[in-house]
Amino acid sequence: MELVLASLTNGISFGMVLFLIASGLSIVMGLMGIVNLAHGALYMVGAYVGWTIAVQLKLNFWLGVFVGGIAGALAGLLIERAFIRRLYKQPNEQVLLTFGFVYILSNLIIWIWGGHRRLQFTAPALYGSMDVAGMPFAKDRLAIIGIGIIIAVILWWLQEKTRFGAIVRAGMDNKEMTTGLGINLELVFTIVFFLAAFIAGAAGVIGAQLLGAYSWLGTDILLWALIVVVVGGLGSVQGALLGGIAIGLIDTFGKALFPQLAMFTIYLAMIVILLAKPSGLLGRKA
Amino acid sequence: MEALKVKDLTKDFGGVHALSDVSFSVEIGERLGIIGPNGAGKTTLFNLINGQLPPTSGRIYFFGQDITTMPTHSRAHLGQSRSFQITSLFLNLTVLDNTLITLHGIKPSRFQMLRPTTAYANLFAKAQGILTSIALWEQRDELVKNLSYGEQRKLEIALTLALEPKMLLLDEPSSGLTSAESAEITDMLKKLGRDITVLLVAHDMDLVFGVAERIMVLHYGKIIANGKPEDIRADPRVKEIYMGMEKNAGTTKVT
Amino acid sequence: MTTNKIIEAIRQPWQLQLIRFSPYIAGALILVMLPAVMPSYVQTVWTRFLVFALFASSYDLIYGHAGLLSLGHAAYFGAAGYAVAALILHYNVDSLWISLSLGILIAVLVSAGFGFLALRVSGMYFLLVTFAFGEALYAFTWNMPWLSTPGMQGIAGLPRPSLGIPGFSWNTLNFYYFILIIFLICFFLVYRIMNSPFGHALRGIREGESRMRALGYNTWLYKYIAFITTGAFAGVAGTLFIYYNRFISPTHVSVTTSFMPMIMVIIGGSGTLLGPVIGALVIVFTEYFASLFTPERWPLILGAVFVAAIMYARGGISIHLSRLWKRLNNRYGSIKS
Repeated sequence: MELVLASLTNGISFGMVLFLIASGLSIVMGLMGIVNLAHGALYMVGAYVGWTIAVQLKLNFWLGVFVGGIAGALAGLLIERAFIRRLYKQPNEQVLLTFGFVYILSNLIIWIWGGHRRLQFTAPALYGSMDVAGMPFAKDRLAIIGIGIIIAVILWWLQEKTRFGAIVRAGMDNKEMTTGLGINLELVFTIVFFLAAFIAGAAGVIGAQLLGAYSWLGTDILLWALIVVVVGGLGSVQGALLGGIAIGLIDTFGKALFPQLAMFTIYLAMIVILLAKPSGLLGRKA
Repeated sequence: MEALKVKDLTKDFGGVHALSDVSFSVEIGERLGIIGPNGAGKTTLFNLINGQLPPTSGRIYFFGQDITTMPTHSRAHLGQSRSFQITSLFLNLTVLDNTLITLHGIKPSRFQMLRPTTAYANLFAKAQGILTSIALWEQRDELVKNLSYGEQRKLEIALTLALEPKMLLLDEPSSGLTSAESAEITDMLKKLGRDITVLLVAHDMDLVFGVAERIMVLHYGKIIANGKPEDIRADPRVKEIYMGMEKNAGTTKVT
Repeated sequence: MTTNKIIEAIRQPWQLQLIRFSPYIAGALILVMLPAVMPSYVQTVWTRFLVFALFASSYDLIYGHAGLLSLGHAAYFGAAGYAVAALILHYNVDSLWISLSLGILIAVLVSAGFGFLALRVSGMYFLLVTFAFGEALYAFTWNMPWLSTPGMQGIAGLPRPSLGIPGFSWNTLNFYYFILIIFLICFFLVYRIMNSPFGHALRGIREGESRMRALGYNTWLYKYIAFITTGAFAGVAGTLFIYYNRFISPTHVSVTTSFMPMIMVIIGGSGTLLGPVIGALVIVFTEYFASLFTPERWPLILGAVFVAAIMYARGGISIHLSRLWKRLNNRYGSIKS
């Protein structure tokens, strides 16, 4: 029973981290029509910067989360404004560009922080476990789940209840009409990209408690995020949340129940979705 | 046997009824004009007949065969040939390439992977014939995007005939053309043989009334009139729709 | 006009054909003669260039001509390589003919499988799925002890292939010529495919898939065949690679290796015959020189060059070369018919 609960918390907290990074990726994909392959690298940048703040400089962990988010956001902003925007109407080239940035960011990180150690760290307040209803739960897992829920609610509220969210959803459905209504879509793109990059960077620090930070984390987490988007569906917070938790649970229970299959349970999930419902569980666009 | 028979065709997009229970037939060799205000469902109808979109309900019969679920490329092999409202030529390929690709479309040689296209002399001859007849042979190595819009339209229409189709689906063929260019198209359509059936969607009334033997009027996804050109011209309901449009275009409001 | 006159009109006299083909002839001559006079470690760089030129050309078929952005192309390259390596490791079979056939077969099977699933979605999703499959294969090769020489990741100590010719032994130069022959055969095949009705159709699909369907082309089938063809050529490149490299590891199936043909195609020029080859030339030789001076910073430089090429070198080097060539032709060549 304890094992099941532990797997459950592990799976859901992992799923929350996946949700955080997949949500930004998914909204950018749905709105701007491009896959930001560097999104995973932004997560990684955040993780490393957060480590420097929280561990090297021994400052507050949550400050690390914030600065990690800012670092990710600034890198993302640079990529979007200085590069992506200049390749207007060339989605293939834009995607390739982000791919190039994965290389650049990964290697910059190796240059600055060195390549070989896996850095793992936790907020000091979240060490150890606590009892809930008589059962022990890891504190950091619970905190991640809590943060994930809060962010999910905020993002969902932004998406459904604000004018900005309505503009983003309109932009996803019909770009020409939205511009025709006098909305500066380019500015919306930049804001969305910035927000997504911030969340990615912050998630990098939050998720470091589970995944740590290492030099090819950018590609690994990108892969996870992409599978979450395929499974959960494109363009919505709900899709990213459902997909994230689904993949988190599938992976955790898969590894526990079928250790030989290891990584492949999630690829299996992706293949099943591709065969049965290619647009994803909650997909907006087919 | 009719060239085309459409039965209770309906197409919904989310909550929007683009087409509702549309039924009509087209005889072989007939020239049918389809008119109606913007958003009436004309292009949607074409998309259903040609297979770009699946219907929500209803059936489509082409020369007696049920093609409702048939993919677009198969419909081309049955003899459908379509032009698009916005020019769909391959802008970054040459005039000659566009022509050759079109000509190969219904030939088995289109799957040939190892012989060069220059080996197919008959198709080349045909391409030369087509391009010469529209005075574009000299520009055959020019990228299509470098042609004038009128030349592009001419090419696109000429290519729809290149497949020797049984039925032409022309969606606004003269949009964006000068009146002289439109007149050319009208002439060309008038000269077509009776083995080709023509469905023509257009806003250009000269073109429609010049070519069509029967006119169908669509409004909000329904057929509201279907008959000879003179009758349609005189039909009060049709007048109301178009008058309503004209008034809206001005400053007077229409209830 | 009679058919004969048409053929006369479109086929040019042999002198013009020669001029048109002269860059290729010159290139082939250089490839044959130049490495012979270079030291053997430079010959290995030329060999590496040929392997990657083939890899890049295979990628261009699906990216430049069909217009499908596929990540994870190293999956077919590496799968072939691993198949051949495993054959040598476990069954001691080193005959070239068997290995090459197996390599191509495995690459075709993998690309047929991945391609079928990937083509169920389009655009962005297609990208994601091809990427995920590539990474899946990477994880697979990492986790399968059967695919490793004991004690390490990957298979090492691979010998050169056996041609079944008694008394024959390999050296750097004749190995280079061996690779060159296979490369030229494949290059010729790619050339034919590019100019065939199939190749034209791929470019049509790239430019306007909807119209192609209305013209009677089963575009899904074309994309699928292109995907598998691409996989087959990548498989040849992968097989040749392990003979050159004598070692294969999971990295050769991963994103870092998939990146190689992509940057070569971008720099050299996509959708052209020579573009990928030129790109491979530039990248492989630059990499060689960089490895002498800044081996750790090379990936960073590569990434920066890639970004710069995408932003500023539209059409790649080959566009500039072909413009230059056209200008030369207009000044010194004769008018076309």
